[in-house]
Amino acid sequence: MNGSFNAISLLINGVSLALALAFLFILLWQNRRKELNQFFAIFLFFVAIWNVSTLLWQMLSLIGFEPSLQRLIAGLAELGFTGSSVAAYILTAVLVRAHTRSFRNFAIAALILLIFYRTFLIVNSAFALPTSDSGISFQRQPMVIGFYLLFGFGTIFLLWRYSRKIRSTAIRFGLILFVVGQTFGFVNSDLDVFQFAISLSSIAALILSFSIVGSEIIKPLAERNSQVEAIRRVSLAITNLAGIETLLDQIAQQAADLLKTDGGVSIFLLHEDELEAATVYRLPPQYRDERLKIGEGMAGTVALNRQSMQVDDYGHDWRGEEDFPHARDTFGSVICAPLEYGGKTIGALMVIAQRHGVLFQKEDVYLLELLAVQAAVAISHSQLFGEVEAARRQLETVLASTESPIIAIDRKFKLVFANRAAKVLMYPSDTATTFNEGSVAGGHIRDYVPDIPMPTNYMEAMRAIRQHGTYTYEVILNRRVYLCNIAAFRSGDKHIEGWVAVLNDVTQLKELDRLKSEMVRMTSHDLKNPLQAAMANVELLRDDTVSGFNPEAATALDEIDWQLQRMNRIIRGILDLERVKTGVMKVDILNPAQIVQEAIRDLTHFSLHFQVELVYEASDDLPTIRGDFEQFKRALINLIENAIKFTPNGGRVLVKAYAKDQNIIFMVQDNGVGIDETQQPHIFDRFYRANQKGTEHITGSGLGLSLVKTIIDNHRGAIWLDSHIGKGTTFFVSVPTTLMNKASHSQ
Amino acid sequence: MVNGAERWHIAYLSSNSAGARLKIMKIMIVDDEQAIREALGRKLKREGHEIILCRDGLESLRFFHTERPDLVILDIVMPEGMDGLTVCRRIREVADTPIMMLSANAVTEDDVIDGLTAGADEYLIKPVRLNEFAARVHALLRRAQMSVSENEQRYDDGYLSIDLHRRHVHVNGRRQHLTPTEFKLLAVLLENAGRVVTQKDLLEQVWGDGYADDVYYPRVYISQLRRKVERDPANPIYILTEHRVGYRFEKQPSSKPG
Repeated sequence: MNGSFNAISLLINGVSLALALAFLFILLWQNRRKELNQFFAIFLFFVAIWNVSTLLWQMLSLIGFEPSLQRLIAGLAELGFTGSSVAAYILTAVLVRAHTRSFRNFAIAALILLIFYRTFLIVNSAFALPTSDSGISFQRQPMVIGFYLLFGFGTIFLLWRYSRKIRSTAIRFGLILFVVGQTFGFVNSDLDVFQFAISLSSIAALILSFSIVGSEIIKPLAERNSQVEAIRRVSLAITNLAGIETLLDQIAQQAADLLKTDGGVSIFLLHEDELEAATVYRLPPQYRDERLKIGEGMAGTVALNRQSMQVDDYGHDWRGEEDFPHARDTFGSVICAPLEYGGKTIGALMVIAQRHGVLFQKEDVYLLELLAVQAAVAISHSQLFGEVEAARRQLETVLASTESPIIAIDRKFKLVFANRAAKVLMYPSDTATTFNEGSVAGGHIRDYVPDIPMPTNYMEAMRAIRQHGTYTYEVILNRRVYLCNIAAFRSGDKHIEGWVAVLNDVTQLKELDRLKSEMVRMTSHDLKNPLQAAMANVELLRDDTVSGFNPEAATALDEIDWQLQRMNRIIRGILDLERVKTGVMKVDILNPAQIVQEAIRDLTHFSLHFQVELVYEASDDLPTIRGDFEQFKRALINLIENAIKFTPNGGRVLVKAYAKDQNIIFMVQDNGVGIDETQQPHIFDRFYRANQKGTEHITGSGLGLSLVKTIIDNHRGAIWLDSHIGKGTTFFVSVPTTLMNKASHSQ
Repeated sequence: MVNGAERWHIAYLSSNSAGARLKIMKIMIVDDEQAIREALGRKLKREGHEIILCRDGLESLRFFHTERPDLVILDIVMPEGMDGLTVCRRIREVADTPIMMLSANAVTEDDVIDGLTAGADEYLIKPVRLNEFAARVHALLRRAQMSVSENEQRYDDGYLSIDLHRRHVHVNGRRQHLTPTEFKLLAVLLENAGRVVTQKDLLEQVWGDGYADDVYYPRVYISQLRRKVERDPANPIYILTEHRVGYRFEKQPSSKPG
């Protein structure tokens, strides 16, 4: 035995072990819950046992010792040796994150069993260790050899199989060195290499502990700064972009840079219930617009569970549907993080490494999650901004392109908005092209349009806006007539912020309307004179031929007369409608019964002609209504006339007026042909004539009911009907009663 | 009708019942449409009247002065020269002759009221049935020659004086010309002084049967009458309105000096 060598060996062992223990304390202090740290502690513990017991053996063998103590120490050394080789295997498995949990559990179980077995042997001293002066040798221990072979080779296998997963060469080297070092323990003990085995293993343990401290504590700390810097750079890059396309590209690029991937990046965005690959970076361009259902593929799963996922080998480890075609064959390590905003998933961010390329670590997941948070906010804002911007631009285009001037003012009558047409109206001397949108604002409306016509009846306008939302009045500006439609715009809490006025140029319509009235007037005059001449001459002729004349000629004369009367009615119908539409309605207090009576009286002759019984019921003391007597009578006459016309000979028409709630109901009921349901919605249309079987012979202008409707509308009333084919029709007219006293006063 | 009015002399005294009761009257018809004026003329001629036909306003005024008709029937819209309303006013300046307007272009009630305000006693809208036209003519003629001889009633309070028998009305000492209809209206109101005459009664007594629909006739004539006899037509003291019932003539205390 070489003393100097022993001393050097002792020194190396002591120093290495002490340092390794020191590093262990640092690791445990940093995070004692971490699996790696715990297993490393176990590993060091066994190495320490092995080392210390071997040192003790050496020291004791120098001074001579008790055989029982010798046995105890030899047992401890064996325990340390075997334990450390098992622990080295477990440590390796943890380091490479190998999915050999069952084997690891077996290893742990074997370790525990070994400890108990050894402890039992030592305590009972039943096991006789071969005593030798030359030191400890494990050559004749089959169990030790078995354990060593099993776990030593297991460690080497893991290192080979998952070599990519161990980034630190030092760790790899340390583990190999340890296994190799242990191998020396089986070499002939006479060569004194057993010491060497221990020294090598100690150095390996030191290297291991140093590099684990380096990769677990020092490296993350060193990287933290660069990560923060990277994240800051990413935030800056993605929050300053408005366009969603550029933003997505930027995020993808930043993600690729941040994770230092050799593959690509894909950003999935959620549209309804599908994820769409909105951007692909350094991936085949046809991947773009690839769609995945929620829960489908890795991105879909991430979006569904709202939890990041990481696989080391997509082709091997991902068991779900492929995210992209041929992904299994081309993707290596993949990290996918959900994009969430406002408690909702908006998509997923996926970073892909090439097959056999970069392997992502836990820190990378953490980094990507950080980036995903920022990206989600930026994407959501960009989307929202884009939507708002698009809506605003659309509205602006509509407002700008419309020919109608649109002006908005606030509560203080300050101009808020004016579209192009409105500006032309405000500055008639300038050309429209000199204006930029939004260039007018702030001043009082009168500064721009000094003679702007406000509603004459301010209170009424306010009331109308409150009740109906809008108020319309006529405005004349620059010799053109506008219908000015005012509406209030409100803030969120219903508070009126201002008013918007839309001016519709109705100059042409007004002119047309005037022309139309003029034409109606002229036509009526031009038609009435010939009609008068014809009617008068027919009557003269009929007077001449009262007696002794060909009865056929008399019939023909009657027919001519009847047709002339019909023509007269049509002309009168058109004129009545024109008058009611354009004329001013008189407002008197009317007695419903009186209207009914007079209408009935006017039609007595008519009903006799058609041989229809005309009956009425109307109490004289009904509440009064407000309106134009002549017009209202006209409406009632039209309804009754219609009823008579559409009732066969011998039929009956009932006219009734009665009070109901605050209204007077006028009812005109016949037992005539009835109105088909399909025709009912149209019968109040102008010039509409019901085209119904059995009514072809009935004449009319198609204006009667249109006039009725107009009149009833003017009286703020309602008209409706109830009709059944073959049974008859009932028209109802409802008009509000006056709430005024009926007291008369004399002048 | 190149050379003015046609003149149809009475061919026969009709056995027509209406005509039989009436004196033979001279009626002037003014209308630019030849067919109309001839048809109307023929009808009235059969009723037994003497007819003068004119085709425009100026001509009608000329014939009015030369022929002194008992009744004038006026179209309103005439293309040449004077329109019917002007003719009516011009006639009213000089005579109380009953005037009937016959117009095609009455679109609104206001048109009718315009005509009545111009001094017409009657306003018919074309086309009108000949029988109705004849009946209205007779009614108007009856109103015009209403016998007032049995009514000796007079009224005089110093400001307004009415002599029904002599058909004289003086306002503030000055003679007022009333149209036949206006006078008849005043007479009916005066006969019923202090009592309300309903619109219906007024229409029946002043205009006759078949006028029940023409509710605005009394309204127009009352305001015409007020303009002629009241000191302040806006605040009448003689002819008062009973709201929604009718009208009432109120006698005023005499303001004659002494």
